[in-house]
Amino acid sequence: MSDQAHVRTEHDLAPGEEEQHSVGERVIGYVVGLALALLLTATSFFIAGTDLVWQPSIPVALIVLAIAQMGVHLVFFLHITTGPDNTNNVLALAFGLLVVFLVVGGTVWIMAHLNQNMPPMDQIMPMRR
Amino acid sequence: MLGKLDWSAIPFDQPIPLIAGAVVLVAILAVLIWVVVKGHLPYLWHEWITSVDHKRIGVMYILLASVMLLRGGSDAIMMRIQQAVAFQSQGYLPPEHYNQIFSAHGTIMIFFVAMPFVIGLMNLIVPLQLGVRDVAFPTLNSVGFWLTATGALLVNLSLVIGEFARTGWLAFPPLSELSYSPGVGVDYYAWSLQISGVGTLVAGINLVTTVLKLRTRGMNYLRMPMFCWTTLASNLLIVAAFPILTATLAMLLLDRYLGFHFFTNEAGGNVMMFMNLIWAWGHPEVYILVLPAFGIFSEVVSTFSGKALFGYRSMVLATMAICVISFMVWLHHFFTMGAGPDVNAIFGIASMIIAIPTGVKIYNWLFTMYGGRIRFATPMLWSVGFMVTFIIGGLTGVLVAVPPADFMLHNSMFLVAHFHNVIIGGVLFGAFAGFEYWFPKAFGFRLDERWGKLAFWFTFLGFYVTFIPLYIAGMLGMTRRMQHYDVAAWRPWMLVAAVGMAVLTIGVICQVVQIVVSIRNREALRDRTGDPWDGRSLEWATSSPPPVFNFAFNPDVRGEDAYWDMKAHAKQQQLEHDRPEYQDIEMPRNSPTGFVCAFFATIMGFALIWHIWWMVILGGIGAFATFVVFAWRDHDEYVIPAEEVARIDRINIEERRRLVSMAGAV
Repeated sequence: MSDQAHVRTEHDLAPGEEEQHSVGERVIGYVVGLALALLLTATSFFIAGTDLVWQPSIPVALIVLAIAQMGVHLVFFLHITTGPDNTNNVLALAFGLLVVFLVVGGTVWIMAHLNQNMPPMDQIMPMRR
Repeated sequence: MLGKLDWSAIPFDQPIPLIAGAVVLVAILAVLIWVVVKGHLPYLWHEWITSVDHKRIGVMYILLASVMLLRGGSDAIMMRIQQAVAFQSQGYLPPEHYNQIFSAHGTIMIFFVAMPFVIGLMNLIVPLQLGVRDVAFPTLNSVGFWLTATGALLVNLSLVIGEFARTGWLAFPPLSELSYSPGVGVDYYAWSLQISGVGTLVAGINLVTTVLKLRTRGMNYLRMPMFCWTTLASNLLIVAAFPILTATLAMLLLDRYLGFHFFTNEAGGNVMMFMNLIWAWGHPEVYILVLPAFGIFSEVVSTFSGKALFGYRSMVLATMAICVISFMVWLHHFFTMGAGPDVNAIFGIASMIIAIPTGVKIYNWLFTMYGGRIRFATPMLWSVGFMVTFIIGGLTGVLVAVPPADFMLHNSMFLVAHFHNVIIGGVLFGAFAGFEYWFPKAFGFRLDERWGKLAFWFTFLGFYVTFIPLYIAGMLGMTRRMQHYDVAAWRPWMLVAAVGMAVLTIGVICQVVQIVVSIRNREALRDRTGDPWDGRSLEWATSSPPPVFNFAFNPDVRGEDAYWDMKAHAKQQQLEHDRPEYQDIEMPRNSPTGFVCAFFATIMGFALIWHIWWMVILGGIGAFATFVVFAWRDHDEYVIPAEEVARIDRINIEERRRLVSMAGAV
């Protein structure tokens, strides 16, 4: 569609439409991303099996590494940036995060309060004969 | 070889579904034979079935919704008759059949009437309002429609082959687990929703992208018509919420097919997790349905009041507020589940808060009407009827959002009356308003006003006579989904409701007659100008029906109510401004991808329901192969030459000049 091209403003590009970098630059970006992703994955496996760190901190460390992994994927593979051409993508990401937070957080909270109106188990047991 | 399928699947002992199925089958065969004999098949195939034109797909969505409305409506009539006669007796429907009917009624009305109706209207109108040539992904759009149709087909197939779920429209476990529902009913339910859910998700992604990425020159976010805003909000909710439904149903299917224990009573399963997840989808779903309806009312009210929409920015804010808050209220569907006062109070308050942006909208519509020159055409009647009805439904909604009150009213007929009050009064009235309002745009002629008004009044009154008694019966303690009952106090209200149902049916008949009469009188009702209602947004700037490319030139937008501005300008200058050179236009080529994909999806769905594994593999490979073939296509666009564009556009310009000069003379 010929005259749809200038319908879009210059700063409003879809993912995969960013201005043409040279092939070399793009390859370097992907290689760095891959290296970081592999590093984070390897670290996770290493930490899970090691006794070099305080044992109870391992789950927290894994969560931190997982979040870092998501960040690497978003930046290097999905090309989320803070540039003005990325407002839609960042907003979509924010909306997605909000919904995930509401649904997951809400679910955990609701399921934890599931049995509030139940009598304690030790009172139920004698009732069953 | 054929899995669980054998002759016992066909209910020879139950005359009602068998006769209904036979009648439908004969009707379909008759239509098919007529199409083939008359030689319409090539036309249907090239112009409709394989079409990737957003307008055609929108029309097909609405057609699907209308046919399914008749099916779901027949279920409703059967239920109301059953409850009217089943006082201290078994009525005429045996329990297992009655249970299937109320399950099918809910499933069909939400997934295959309300959803396709609003998605169809959005498809039809949003690209026109944005001033662009098509949606962002035209072929994907066709795939989405056909997958929705697949779901509808499978649900209706259950009428004659096997059975439908007897579990209610959300198939709560443990009843929907294999141990309590060993038949294929729940599988029909789950697979048809999984397949049509993919279609809905695809439509949602498509429309979000269209609104965000394809707008004509000058169409800022804050110049978009209200319907585009509500489309954006509604489709954001689709993209966020439908994966929850898919995941939940997938877990239920794993329980049923592979012996998992997500929602079972034993082995660490938790049925309450199902309620939690399904309502985390289910509550946003009602806003997915009603937000586009709000958009339609905004368009209709401002057009027929001859004024710009009052408080446009507050309307945008209210829409987006509803979009976010709708994800914070889902627990109000299961206050009685056992959560403590903290949880119930928070979700109760959140549910009441959502009434505030909705109230803002109601006041905005009222102020739009205030001081306007109101024309009570049929779309406006539906809108005013909506405002009255929806306020009642909203108030009973705020009432059941109060946890202590909800403990009394949960699962009662009061609740049934409440959600019919908001869904009929909100979504269905909105769909009808949009249908009457945009019908001339889609087909080039207006609908008959006399029959339209009759249809409105019968539906409006019929609605109250049907559902106010249900509120009262609920207050008297009647629970929902009762196949028979022994309480004398409920009887009169059930009889009144049955009378109301008859009035509603007359309303539906009037609507059918309206369409038939209008088609016969189409020459007298012809809309030559493309602007039959003196409209304000860009869909009225092109001819009715619009050419395949919508606009010869993408319009230039300089403010809100883009087309109203253009008309005001043109009247001052006595003619439309000169057109630059016409150019070739590239449009997407039609593609059978959607239809072929849905064909294989139907085979796969049916085979999954009946455990015919070789056929599952066949369908799966077929659907995937279709995708591969489409992905490797060579050319997907064709060119409309400039002369052709000029020829089509000049006819439109001539009619418009005449309109403007007539208006100038007055």
